[in-house]
Amino acid sequence: MGDVLAAHSRPASDRVVITGLGVFSSIGIGVEEFAEGLRDGRNGVSPISVFDTTGFAHANGCELPGFKPEEWLERWSAEQLGRTSQFAVAAARMAVRDAGLTDAALRERRVQISVGTTDGESQDLDHLAQTWVESGPQDWDPEVARRVGAGRLSAAIAWELGLSDAEALTLATACSAGNYAIGMGFDAIRVGDADIALCGGADAMCRKSFTAFYRLGTIAPDFCRPFDRDRQGILTGEGSGVLVLERLDSALARGAQIYAEVLGYGMSCDAYHPVQPEQSSIARCMRSALSDAGVRPEEVDLVSAHGTGTKTNDVTESRAIREVFSGMPPRTVSLKSMLGHTMGAASALGAIACSLAITHGFIPPTINHRETDPECEIDCVPNESIPADLRVVQNNGLAFAGNNAVVVLGKHQPAA
Amino acid sequence: MNKVDSASSGLAISGWAVTSPYGIGRSVFSEGLAAGRGTERAIEQGQGPAGTACLVPDFDSRAVLGKKGTRMMNRVTGMAVSTIGDLLRELGSDRLDPDTTGLVVGTTVGSAQSTIDFTRGSLTGERPFHVEPGLIPYAVMNGAAGQCAIWHGVKGPNATLAAGRSAGLLALNYARRLLLTRRAGTVLCGAAEEYSVARAWISEHSAGTDAPGAVLGEGCAMFALTADPTDEPPLATLLAVKATTCSDGDWYTTVRRCVEQATAAAGVRPSDVWMASPSGAAGPAGHAERAALGDLFDLGDRLVCVTELIGETHAASGALQLAAVLSLAEQNPESAELPAVVTSIDESGTVVACLVRLG
Repeated sequence: MGDVLAAHSRPASDRVVITGLGVFSSIGIGVEEFAEGLRDGRNGVSPISVFDTTGFAHANGCELPGFKPEEWLERWSAEQLGRTSQFAVAAARMAVRDAGLTDAALRERRVQISVGTTDGESQDLDHLAQTWVESGPQDWDPEVARRVGAGRLSAAIAWELGLSDAEALTLATACSAGNYAIGMGFDAIRVGDADIALCGGADAMCRKSFTAFYRLGTIAPDFCRPFDRDRQGILTGEGSGVLVLERLDSALARGAQIYAEVLGYGMSCDAYHPVQPEQSSIARCMRSALSDAGVRPEEVDLVSAHGTGTKTNDVTESRAIREVFSGMPPRTVSLKSMLGHTMGAASALGAIACSLAITHGFIPPTINHRETDPECEIDCVPNESIPADLRVVQNNGLAFAGNNAVVVLGKHQPAA
Repeated sequence: MNKVDSASSGLAISGWAVTSPYGIGRSVFSEGLAAGRGTERAIEQGQGPAGTACLVPDFDSRAVLGKKGTRMMNRVTGMAVSTIGDLLRELGSDRLDPDTTGLVVGTTVGSAQSTIDFTRGSLTGERPFHVEPGLIPYAVMNGAAGQCAIWHGVKGPNATLAAGRSAGLLALNYARRLLLTRRAGTVLCGAAEEYSVARAWISEHSAGTDAPGAVLGEGCAMFALTADPTDEPPLATLLAVKATTCSDGDWYTTVRRCVEQATAAAGVRPSDVWMASPSGAAGPAGHAERAALGDLFDLGDRLVCVTELIGETHAASGALQLAAVLSLAEQNPESAELPAVVTSIDESGTVVACLVRLG
């Protein structure tokens, strides 16, 4: 095996790197706190507080109780935005600052803004449902009704930054939407449509999603235990993650820090069942991502799994991983053990965690782990992080409707 | 990494299908448009605050698609599945490779009705989890695209884009990038929007800044965009899609600049443009959009606004505008080889201009 990945032989004008990160999660806000949380194996779980959970036998989740959007918003005032847009805009602000870019510098570039989400302004939609039950839709709050279009998650970022040469759109492909959004930013740059991409995902804790997963029997009573013999399901979570992508030559020219390189990505659709995953389609997605990245399976050092902690996902996904890696998978962790399932933000937070793992040289653990399910034959790095030199990391995102997307990141290696 | 083909001279639109307030299919759409026939009709009491709407006549998912697998299917999914089915029949679906055929569906918020109904079930049921599980896939925004994939066995990249009125044209741009990066060989792309009580009330309450007095419409239009060689000449060629954001309130300048950039990227002279179609959004932003197109192109009655005939169709509007341009071009052979412009504006700030060369 050569020391140089095929991807690294491409010209700097055809390579895309990550130069800024913005993150709001239940285990930490901002790159430092988030990296610390990942390394310490922090558990973001608490009893759900944002909606009335009376009547549910159990209702833990991973919330962000201390989120203060007004600390981040410069042009919007917080009450003009729903909670999910607040998350998206705040993470974009943080990522742009982290990248060392000013609003003025951004305005001179063509910007792709893509935010992934499962439920959009879900707390607003919950609120509309509540009012409908109490008195009817004629009594809806116009301010809330006006902002339920999911496109606003992305458009609000463009407006916050005062951008005009910006294409803003929301990827509504449920729980893999963060990876879709990263892929869109990557492609927009590579085909020459954009100079910079702000891409990621956002979702807020809501009754609708919790109830849906509860009804399907997939909410864990206490903790999320991916790949564990006794796993009982997911915990719903909330948060946002935004990444700044740009061409390598642009990053080098402005002396930007480089967290990692986006080597490629892949997508597939099961076309099989609305809520059940399908192994061969997931394997096809991973193969397409590795092929796009110019990476052989044996060059992958870590898989950040979709790893929801449901019976079905973890068996199906680990089998697909074993299939792609010819029975010798690299270490495979689930961040959802710490963050809960943050829906449209999940694979964006996953990509950020992978970038930080590459930068700081460690593998975040799968926490709450007791005994690995013999049907999930992978090393999930139980409970404690380990140091590791990571060159290639694969970030999986799977979703209802069979929307799979996998992003492959690599360590940025300066030219010799 | 897949090769990028950014030097492409345009991508072929090799087929299209439409479901509109004129009914199912291209011929009723063409006839209705050519006759300039309005579709606004009274709706039943309790079906929304306005009293009228432009509905797809007698559309019922179970009647159109059969009873199997349609029990809980909402209207937007039914329209998308049915329209994609029509498109695949036109293309000859046996010619497509399922693994490299992509599907892109534009939306505003999925089905506001299904989403709110599901949560209402949780709030009113005897227990909060006594909800209808069959509604779950339809209460998520990607439900329609997922069902289209299942129904028609389309296994390539499958995306749902939310961008309000701009979603249809942005779906074309997303499809274009999938083709330029060789992630797909053919992409079925477009947008769908259903009429529902929930959407009608959202529109009513938003009317202060959005579209005062707009009559709501619904529908779906889907296009096959391909990088693969085709036996027949394309119905049209996608030359450019450009999106910008109005972040200073000056809609006229934003639209004008966006269209100028798109025409420049497409290498099109404004004097050659045969037809232009604005979104027809109500209110000052919509007037600015129309004025910008009127000032850029000397078109007379070939500045076509379908909203006046089929209502405000939100996410579906851009796709239905393009369908209208293709339909009117078919009836006017002098349009051959000439460019046409479709624009979209959304109150969130997004402005899109799309350039096609007619077949």
